[in-house]
Amino acid sequence: MPVLNSLRALGLAALMAASALGWAADAPAAAASAPAPVAGLDTRVQEVKADVVRLNRDLLVLEEELLFPASTQVALFVSMDVGKLFELDSVQIKLDDKVVTSYLYTPAEVAALHRGGVQRVHMGNLKSGEHEIVAFFTGKGPHDRDYKRGTKLKFEKGSEPRYIELRIKDSTGKLQPEFDVKVWQ
Amino acid sequence: MSRAASRFPWATWACNRLGVVALACSGLAAQAAEPPLLHTVQAPHYGDTLFHFYQDHHFTALTSLMVSQHFQRLSPHADEAEILRGGLLLTYGLHHEAGDIFARLITQGAAPAVRDRAWYFLAKIRYERGNLGEAADALSRIQGPLPGQLEEERLLLSGQVSLALGDPARAAVELRALLARPPSVIEPPKTAGVAAKRSIFSRIGSWLLDAVTFSFARDPEQRFSTAPAYARFNLGVALIRSGDVAGGKALLDEIGSASMPDDELRALRDQANVALGFTALSQDDPEGAALALERVRLKGAHSNKALLGFGWAAAAQKKPERALVPWSELLQREASDPAVLEARIAVPYALAEVGAVGQALSGYQAAIAAYAQESTALDESIAAIRSGKLVAGLVERNPDESMGWFRALTALPEVPHTGHLVPVLAQHEFQEAFKNYRDLLFLSGNLGDWQEKLGVYGDMLATRRAGFTERLPQVRSKAAELRVDVLQGQRDKLAAELGAAHAAADGQAFAGAAEREQFARLADVNALLAAQADPARRDPSLDEAELAQLAERARRLQGALAWQLAEQLPERRWAAEKALADTDGGLAEARVRDARLAAAQKDEPARFERFATRLAELGQRIKALQPRVASLTVEQQKALQETAVASLQIQKERLAGYTAQAQYAVAQLYDRATQRKEGERAKP
Repeated sequence: MPVLNSLRALGLAALMAASALGWAADAPAAAASAPAPVAGLDTRVQEVKADVVRLNRDLLVLEEELLFPASTQVALFVSMDVGKLFELDSVQIKLDDKVVTSYLYTPAEVAALHRGGVQRVHMGNLKSGEHEIVAFFTGKGPHDRDYKRGTKLKFEKGSEPRYIELRIKDSTGKLQPEFDVKVWQ
Repeated sequence: MSRAASRFPWATWACNRLGVVALACSGLAAQAAEPPLLHTVQAPHYGDTLFHFYQDHHFTALTSLMVSQHFQRLSPHADEAEILRGGLLLTYGLHHEAGDIFARLITQGAAPAVRDRAWYFLAKIRYERGNLGEAADALSRIQGPLPGQLEEERLLLSGQVSLALGDPARAAVELRALLARPPSVIEPPKTAGVAAKRSIFSRIGSWLLDAVTFSFARDPEQRFSTAPAYARFNLGVALIRSGDVAGGKALLDEIGSASMPDDELRALRDQANVALGFTALSQDDPEGAALALERVRLKGAHSNKALLGFGWAAAAQKKPERALVPWSELLQREASDPAVLEARIAVPYALAEVGAVGQALSGYQAAIAAYAQESTALDESIAAIRSGKLVAGLVERNPDESMGWFRALTALPEVPHTGHLVPVLAQHEFQEAFKNYRDLLFLSGNLGDWQEKLGVYGDMLATRRAGFTERLPQVRSKAAELRVDVLQGQRDKLAAELGAAHAAADGQAFAGAAEREQFARLADVNALLAAQADPARRDPSLDEAELAQLAERARRLQGALAWQLAEQLPERRWAAEKALADTDGGLAEARVRDARLAAAQKDEPARFERFATRLAELGQRIKALQPRVASLTVEQQKALQETAVASLQIQKERLAGYTAQAQYAVAQLYDRATQRKEGERAKP
């Protein structure tokens, strides 16, 4: 049966090429093909990626030094420690009675805060001396009630950059969210 | 080890590194009703990197991390930051740079567990990129067993590398070690709450795991480790290849007849049965083949191959009418599938076998026409791919703002015969090349954005420089008006007077303006009283007694004023000294400002110049990179297209083979018919 034999040969060849691919299964994608050999093009693409990443770092460094010199730089952060008692919707921050940011959070951002991310919500410049920060957090508190709370702090700005973290914490004793301000030294 | 740690092997290490309480590491934390609050991020900028990382903004995470490293503001998390950077670089395929990072961590005294994991991840990415020798080298550097599921992954990877290197015997040994391990259960990742908070770095671990298997879509809810099943399959294949066919078939049969908990493993079971079936067919065991192939699901990635093989098994058993059932089913399916194409000539073959020669002839002729049509369609697809429609359509329909992260291509572009693209898009080579292409587009956009920004910054710097130049004379003029040296002279004079008054205990020296006026008025009164002694100037209305009374009153007032000043002397002296000290402070500040102004006059132009130089230098780097990226984008697109075209060319060649087979079969049928007719004519 020459036709049968040749068809079987074709069938096996085709199937080997198109499906089983040497039989071995890559976990977890069983049908993935064998690893590709490294090509010259691929190497050059990786090189250019590395160059652009390094360039981006240098550009961001320049941007920060140009726009926010260390002597006047102030960066404000928002973090959440546990955060089970408060669903964050937005935050408004005033520096010396001037609104510097009003931020509305997406679910992805809230999730990132829950996981331990710390959001740099504002970066600006301040003169040396005493300043006051006031932050208002809005969202849902315990029992799904609308919740708005504020916190404020006076701080001294010297010639070094000042990092201030606005923290949302759970007070297990009061079963209420707590908001405080930490000035990083 | 806790379940969480077993799912996220990096958790244990992270917990140890961070000194997080043992409660968190032991897994008891999840059971605690109200665990103590912990805030594990000890540098806000590191938290900022994680904030981007957790949102899959990996490019921003990487670059912000590098900036914070530049400014040295991650110190409590220096090692973790390096590992995260290495992992992010790995996802971009920069395994040499990532390797340098891991190597540095090792030489800087990282714990052996860290080093072992680093080598594992390097091995995985090298394997994915086809660097098999380097992958084997990295695997050989792992000294101890990796924690939890990662050890299974390592054994599986070792087996895969050995198989890819053409050493099935060694693969069999490695995969057997995997089978000897007890099955592990995977804890689904938490998305919020205490446990998630605690496992910040285990998230990195899980991500790094995902990072090196980026071409596979992992189900986050998956609860069972699939590694042993894959190992069993691969071991079966390895045994067959090394000559132990019976042993290999037994393992494949074990998978092929098992009950599987999810779709992924059911697909693996189908694949095992297909492998088993075709192995049996190649050994002239059609019964065994049929048994394995009929276990494959009718709908699934392997169903077409199974139907085709099942037909061949029936044909080999001299049951062509039975073979017609699966092959006819195949004809209803996607025309470009290789099994369907083959079924087009298999059906007339079976028809001929059952004696339906006319139908068989029609079938072959229909197959030849279909192949011609399919060949034309393939040509159209190839032309569409070469015109750039495929790549442009894929990018348009599968947008992605990030870089370096594999995203499933969920939408096919609008090109003729999209069915041809499905197997092309499923190819590892194509996916890798497309990822590179999309990365290059991202880089191009990134460079363009920075170019615009640099223009703005250049303008800003020019404005600042002009403002500085304009305001400098005014500020200098104001500073000159202050005349600090003159003020200093006045201060010194006052200090000398204060010293003298202090030495003489002269209360009057500390008198205020009102008191000095009172003293002056008393002096006038005393002068008037003294003038009364002169008869020519005497006031006739005052008698002696009144004069004496007035003199006494003046004396008492003077005494009271002097007493008051003497009484307040210490207090006034202190106030005067304080005022002098304040003056000193003010003068010192004025001098500092003066010095700053002088320094600014000198330094600020130099600072502006340095910024301008950096802006220019970075602008040059952007300009140098842009043509490189553009040229590589074109090159990558061509490579991508050629990968797709090559795949379609193989399909065309296959069609040509089928066409030749069909034509040969038609000729044979005609020959038989002619011979039959001649035979009939020859009969008396």
